[in-house]
Amino acid sequence: MENISFRTTVLPLSDRLFRLALRITMNRAEAEDVVQDTLLKVWEHRNEWEQINNLEAFAIATCRNRALDIVKRAGRKTENLDEMAHFSSQTPHEQLEANEQISLVRRLVDELPEVQRTIMLLRDIEGKTYQEIAEMLDINETQVKVYLHRARTKIKEKLKNGL
Amino acid sequence: MDYKYIEQLLERYWECQTTLEEEAILRTFFRQEDVPASLLPYRQLFIEEDEMAEEHLSKDFQNKMLRLVGEEVPVQVCKARKVTFMRRCRPFYRAAGLIAILLTIGNAAHQSFTDDDAVQEPQMAENIPIDSLHQITIGQPEQQSAELTSQPIDTLDVFPR
Repeated sequence: MENISFRTTVLPLSDRLFRLALRITMNRAEAEDVVQDTLLKVWEHRNEWEQINNLEAFAIATCRNRALDIVKRAGRKTENLDEMAHFSSQTPHEQLEANEQISLVRRLVDELPEVQRTIMLLRDIEGKTYQEIAEMLDINETQVKVYLHRARTKIKEKLKNGL
Repeated sequence: MDYKYIEQLLERYWECQTTLEEEAILRTFFRQEDVPASLLPYRQLFIEEDEMAEEHLSKDFQNKMLRLVGEEVPVQVCKARKVTFMRRCRPFYRAAGLIAILLTIGNAAHQSFTDDDAVQEPQMAENIPIDSLHQITIGQPEQQSAELTSQPIDTLDVFPR
């Protein structure tokens, strides 16, 4: 059995958890709080680490649930990051300039339903297998493929039609 | 160039039939600048996914977490090193050496330039021995030289008085 420690096994997951939390909360500060809560929760379960089959899947699931809780509690949908920017105190001209620089694909990804977005992130950005994703989200592999197929098809159509 | 393989891979990617390795091939392909027009609309997707993979937490986050769980935060230790007086003066020696080299080169260059110019100085030209000027005049007037060549060699007055 490999030696599990907070520093060498849990802490290196931080950035991965952050990217997931960021795509759900659409807010960097909130995403950082979510990662902190997640890591502390994993730490609280340190006596069970040996029994947990996949510690990363456990952390990802905890992180996702925590991020969804925050979004639900704040009474908002999982808006995309760019929509959040619209509430800032920028002038219309500054907003126009900022919008031009906003990544169009990122906006498309952020507009996807949360589960499709999360699966796309886990597959395309974190490079997880269908089986790993199924375990993390507690669904079966077929469902993972169905959600991912829907997400990719939407993105493909938008890109094909020039966004 | 034939892009059939990439097109097939891309079709399978949309259908979620590609392996992680095949998706890595697609990612590598779309990272290059030279992508055919038919595939160009999809390039941005792979490029921006690469960028999204670079999003990370602030640097001190990990230290904060280590403190929160009561683990030791790694401290960067800087070892003190004893520096001798000679070692401390080394930059000055180097600078002095460099200046000496530059001065030597400068002097040498200056001297060589002034030597070349000296020949063209009118005063110096006056000091050239008169005999050598006579030698120069031998070949100059054609008529005179023709007369000289027609004379027997022992009667030639090479150096007219």
